[in-house]
Amino acid sequence: MSATVLSADGVREALRSVLDPEVGVDIVTLGLVYGVEVEEGRVTVTFTLTTPGCPLRTVMTQSVTAVVYALPGVEHVEPNLVWEPRWHPGMMEKETWNKP
Amino acid sequence: MSVSPFGALGGAEPPPFRLPGSHFAAALLFFVAGGAGLVWAAPDLSAASFLSPRVTGVTHLFTLGWVTTAIMGALYQFLPVALEREIRWPGVAQGTLFLHAPGLAAFVTGLTTQRPDLVVAGASLLAVGVLLFTGNVAGTLAGAPRRDMTWWALALAMTFLTLTVVVGGALAANVRWPFMGASRIVALGTHLHVALVGFVLLVMVGVGHRLLPMFLLSHGATERPGRWAVGLLATGVALLFALHHTPGAWARRVPAVLILSGGAAFLFQARAFYRARQRPTIDAGMRTAAAALVVLAGAAALGGYLGLTGFATRPHLATAYVSALVLGISIFVAAHTYKIVPFLVWYHRFGPLAGKAPVPKVADLYSTRWAGAAGTLLTVGTAAVAAGIAFRQAAVTAAGAWVFLAGAAVEGVQMALVARKRPS
Repeated sequence: MSATVLSADGVREALRSVLDPEVGVDIVTLGLVYGVEVEEGRVTVTFTLTTPGCPLRTVMTQSVTAVVYALPGVEHVEPNLVWEPRWHPGMMEKETWNKP
Repeated sequence: MSVSPFGALGGAEPPPFRLPGSHFAAALLFFVAGGAGLVWAAPDLSAASFLSPRVTGVTHLFTLGWVTTAIMGALYQFLPVALEREIRWPGVAQGTLFLHAPGLAAFVTGLTTQRPDLVVAGASLLAVGVLLFTGNVAGTLAGAPRRDMTWWALALAMTFLTLTVVVGGALAANVRWPFMGASRIVALGTHLHVALVGFVLLVMVGVGHRLLPMFLLSHGATERPGRWAVGLLATGVALLFALHHTPGAWARRVPAVLILSGGAAFLFQARAFYRARQRPTIDAGMRTAAAALVVLAGAAALGGYLGLTGFATRPHLATAYVSALVLGISIFVAAHTYKIVPFLVWYHRFGPLAGKAPVPKVADLYSTRWAGAAGTLLTVGTAAVAAGIAFRQAAVTAAGAWVFLAGAAVEGVQMALVARKRPS
């Protein structure tokens, strides 16, 4: 078994498994993940939701936390839900946006 | 883990599933009953007998039973996340349904069987239930940290719902103790428009302003028409209410022009959201919502024509207009039910598993093919009912009513199946 180095890119790739259940697209493709910081075993994920009135606030935070926590080497997860800058469709990854 | 499952993150959390869920269950029962009632009342509608017991009873199954009960459930779910403020009195919110639903059943039974005492008893229960609802929403709005366009639309909608109850109560009392005479028709028209435009349409504008961009991914579209819609509709309905006993055509025409302009602004706003969408494939719910808006645009055009030229001499067109308005609004609510009920089930039953186990998408909880069929049946049925009345073709009206009933039944069965979904 090869050792996996915990990295921001690795965390970002893992977050592609977190789907917005209404849109049916992952939060990285939607451009909702603003930043990932890895410091030893501590991971901070700064993310937003499509609208401040989004009822998925708690579910998405829990989902982000659970997915990152499952990565090897993660000792602590800090989900940082922010509303600024406000999300807009221009933030989506156009190259992977498969027009759901 | 830094966050406990479903722990509070600041802001208000949605209420327990049973609060909006019980409202939608009751609303769907009234919707299917309304569809069956439409078939039953089709001969009266074709004859433009809009004051017949069957027509008035069935109309209230749609307006108070389907539309209002669904709005109550939707607002109990929507307000905490939209306003960052929990429902002011959640216990009262649940209790309201136990006044509203039996009150409506008694009221409609009294109307259709022509039992004035039952009409008054049912209307009294309804009035208490609706006023408790408006008080609860007002209390929730009062604690909101921000007062945006949605806040104002809902505050005005609650004001007009209260006025609807006042005029409706007077009309119900008139059934038992006749005192209105010829002014009953004017009061009826005022009651109808204050309810459908002042309450329902303002809720549609205010809530749609938040939900349409979220469902269509159309953030960044202009929001100016929506603000105009709130101002024009509220001013028009307020004038309609204030002037409804004032003689002179201007007292009808000025409110009619304002309401028409507000309706047009709402349709422009909806068009802007649809055009700016980042989801080229529109799901069944949003397709049905778009169809409902087309129906409502047609109803508004016909209503505007009648408002400017006079309703009294064109009973068939007036009945077609009201039918298209009531059924068009019913379809708009039916469309959003495909978004709200599956989401509620997903949120409460599958949401806690998100990130820990594979979970379905919200759209996986129902058949999109059947959802599309329901939307088509409801829209085609409405068009046939309205056309049959307008052109005095009783067979077309009857066929349209059966088609509408089929659409309501499909949606009712689908929502019942969604409500049974649980993680395996």
